[in-house]
Amino acid sequence: MAPPPFPDLSIGPDMDLQLALIFLQQGIASGLVSGSVYALLALAIVVIFKTSDVPNFAQGEVFMAAGYVALYLFVFQKMPIWVVLPATLVVAFLAMALFRRFVLDQVAKSAKDLVYLVIATLGLSYVLKGLVRRTGFGDTPRSFPALVPTDSVMIGQASVTMLDLAIFGTAVTVMAAFFWMFNYTKTGRAMRAVGMNPKAAQLVGVDLRRCHMLIWGLSGVISAIAALLISPKILMTADMGSIVMLAFAAAIVGGFSSLPGAVVGGFVIGIVENMVGLFISSRAIVLAPFLAILIVLVLRPQGLFGGKLTIKKV
Amino acid sequence: MSVNKTAAGLTLAASLLIGAAAGAQEPGITDKAIKIGIFGPLSGPNMAYGFDVVNAAKMYYDKINKEGGIHGRKIEYVVEDDRCNANDLVAAVKKLVEQENVFMLNGGSCSAAVVAAKDYVVRNKVPYLMLNASGDGALFPPTDYIFGAYSISQYAVGGAMVEFAAKQFGAKNVAYINHDDAYGAWNLEGSKKDAEVNGVKLSVESINPGINDVTAPFLKVRAANPDAILLVTYARPAALLIKKAAEMGFNKPIILSVTGTASLNQLAENVGKDALKNFYTQEVMVDSPGGAKLKPIYDMYKAAYPELAAKPDHPQTYMPYGIPPAMSLVKALQDAGPNPTREKVLAALKTQDFDSGVMAGRMQFGPEQRAANRSTIFIKYDGTTMAPLPGVFTSRWTYQAK
Amino acid sequence: MAVALPVFTSGYVVYIANLLLVFVVLCLGLHIVIGETGQFSMAHAAFYGIGIYASALANRAVDLPYPVAMLFGALVAGAVGLFIGTLALRMRDIYLALATFAFGEAMQWVFANWDSVTNGPNGLRISPARFGPIEILSDKQAYPFVLFFCLVMIGLTVAISRSRLGRSFRAVRESEVAAMAMGIDVRRARIVSFGLSAAIAGFAGGMFGLFQTFIHPDSLGFQTTILVLTMVVVGGLGSIAGAIGGAIVFGLISEVLRQAPQYQEIIYGAILILFMMYAPRGLFAFIGDRIREARHGR
Repeated sequence: MAPPPFPDLSIGPDMDLQLALIFLQQGIASGLVSGSVYALLALAIVVIFKTSDVPNFAQGEVFMAAGYVALYLFVFQKMPIWVVLPATLVVAFLAMALFRRFVLDQVAKSAKDLVYLVIATLGLSYVLKGLVRRTGFGDTPRSFPALVPTDSVMIGQASVTMLDLAIFGTAVTVMAAFFWMFNYTKTGRAMRAVGMNPKAAQLVGVDLRRCHMLIWGLSGVISAIAALLISPKILMTADMGSIVMLAFAAAIVGGFSSLPGAVVGGFVIGIVENMVGLFISSRAIVLAPFLAILIVLVLRPQGLFGGKLTIKKV
Repeated sequence: MSVNKTAAGLTLAASLLIGAAAGAQEPGITDKAIKIGIFGPLSGPNMAYGFDVVNAAKMYYDKINKEGGIHGRKIEYVVEDDRCNANDLVAAVKKLVEQENVFMLNGGSCSAAVVAAKDYVVRNKVPYLMLNASGDGALFPPTDYIFGAYSISQYAVGGAMVEFAAKQFGAKNVAYINHDDAYGAWNLEGSKKDAEVNGVKLSVESINPGINDVTAPFLKVRAANPDAILLVTYARPAALLIKKAAEMGFNKPIILSVTGTASLNQLAENVGKDALKNFYTQEVMVDSPGGAKLKPIYDMYKAAYPELAAKPDHPQTYMPYGIPPAMSLVKALQDAGPNPTREKVLAALKTQDFDSGVMAGRMQFGPEQRAANRSTIFIKYDGTTMAPLPGVFTSRWTYQAK
Repeated sequence: MAVALPVFTSGYVVYIANLLLVFVVLCLGLHIVIGETGQFSMAHAAFYGIGIYASALANRAVDLPYPVAMLFGALVAGAVGLFIGTLALRMRDIYLALATFAFGEAMQWVFANWDSVTNGPNGLRISPARFGPIEILSDKQAYPFVLFFCLVMIGLTVAISRSRLGRSFRAVRESEVAAMAMGIDVRRARIVSFGLSAAIAGFAGGMFGLFQTFIHPDSLGFQTTILVLTMVVVGGLGSIAGAIGGAIVFGLISEVLRQAPQYQEIIYGAILILFMMYAPRGLFAFIGDRIREARHGR
């Protein structure tokens, strides 16, 4: 372990340029790591929004619950990791797909307005949180053991751990795989068609119901991966789903219906969080995502990557 | 002291005079029983702070009842859930006072929420003893009716830590990381006196309890080159900061406040043993949780709640905290004599001073003192063994009328 | 009957009744913006909080009858609402929901960190409300006033709904394009509905100060917004009676759930999901439909 070379300086108005540079490098490095996880979650939100127009307010709780499924299997049932990982992803896939199929389809059938679908997802978030708390495992912060050592390495003047690098690498790989699937496979093309015009997609033979289940399921899988990646880092509690706010902020910054936008947005939010903490105030860190949402929506509602803002409402 | 005793005597005499008439009207008291109201977070995100604390208080009352009660009366308790939320806590208190007609209250595990009940309790002149809430906002400025901080006054938490850092390590430059909530405001204010006396310079970072990435606050603290880091945070941010400190090669002492030590084993699992090479935790009890001096209480819990005790993570760490407030209540009732009134109980509380055998310091109230405990011990923890260090560290903070 | 409530029951029941009446008014406010105008607003708790703090601080600063402080709270909240409404003009649906949500969270942060005004994380003591010589010190004393103000707000909401303004709100909800074609100033309608909704929420904050002695930023978060939204939805989106009934029914459910602590979140979530699945027009419409079915069908 190599501690970063810290000059003996106190912070204040006379903050030395060198110290500011160290702050900047460390802030960006750590921000990219957390940002990669926010980006994954933002991706999970945006892919659903793009295809069903529903912002899934339960995404954070799906992420949280998936983390606890893995924790339960791995730590309490002592299952081997090669069983735990796929099992968690399958559970997340099924939960989301079934919620889409049996709950949201029914809601959509009995009400036309968006607000009903949104509230149903809020309901899901409460149910999941309540279930996890019922188990009693949500009381104390727990960690899913890191599968990668947490030894530090220096990049420039920033110190990151091997785990950080693994998180970043996995997140980027998953995102790349998802893009490939979404853009270049038949399933992906069907999904995009559903997002653009569901009726037309149905006419050319896309099974709408199956496609929606698949999208929601995949979104669950991405959330579960995010949970597995970040829980060794942020620790698990029944309230860890609140991290979804950072993902929403990322999605907004990226334009909310752009997949690459969501990813870039995730990195932006991760870095902004650290910059606010380092150069403004630690107290304001939690405020950063909300300010980002407000500023982007007021100044450039289509986000940094969204195209022209289209009015969907008739 | 003597003035105080005279005053107590006078109130006692006065209440004896009207006792015959008023006795019948005291709510919640019959010849057979005294009804009290217990409340705490039995659900929701803060359940861990109070669920087993309530259970501990209940089992203590059950024990007293089994031994014959107080002056022949049994304690009858009604339990309400306050969800650690201000509105719900007030609803619970009002229900207990006006619907259940309890004689006195014993409840609350979350400081911010108990403050909401302050004016109501005072207006209705109900004796109110907190559970494990430090609740300084409701204790100070002192009133005749509210007593608490049996675990520790939050004002004293930071000061005792500063004292320890200065005495144990000769630290002069100390990093102090707290939360931007009521707890944080109180413990920082309370620590200033001890910092001044010890000539310690504090570099303060206040963070939100929901923080996910602690890189920024840690870097800032690190840049101040501290001799020791005091973490006056909850368990999760504390674990994140300890991890970050290890990742960044910080090897000077890290001292964790009692608010962040819900489960030390879990902490070791969360941060890894390597991160705990120079690590100390504050403890308000006489011994580490589960330690030899506290064994009778753990045995009592196992006997009272065999099913719960079999579950993982039970009893919760804060469980023994429920005993001293219950002792205090029982003692006050005993001291109030065979015909207790609210006035007599309150008078008895104001001069109460006893050793609970559970907490590090004596439970002491006084004319202006409404916080029972202000002392802590420190434990060196390396991830496997907890070694209590000699010495009790007490904060110099005292209430100053503004 | 309802007026005589304090005579018959304990202070606890009256406290719950007071709280419910405040929530009725909060629901009326949300009804204006969501139910009438069809705009997604997720910052209701923020406007409520602004009302609580503003009226409590005004009450402390000047020695005037409490209704003046309440009006001040409503005005401040309304002004902020107009401002947010103006900013929100360019946004729709989910964007509007997220922007107002972010605003709500940011306001909660302000309540908790603007120490010099709100007393920050220590929470603010609310001094007793005064009406001339009368000082209100208990729930029972406060109840007639709370009930009166609640009825005034119900009357006001009905009046707004039946006025031209109310018709323009509903026209915007049905179709902005059609509303514009009918010569309705859509921008104005949207901004005004935000302002009115916020002012009513702020007024509810003033009502809260009638019987509560303390406010803490913790109770002004997204949870509270969701609680109000749930009430409106359970009662039936778009109807004033639904908003009122929803507040009462769901408020009581929430209080009863305090007795079943282990399951409350699950039950709460399940209620939301089941209502959306099978009774999206609200409890009362659902019951009405079942009764009609029972009568006509076999």
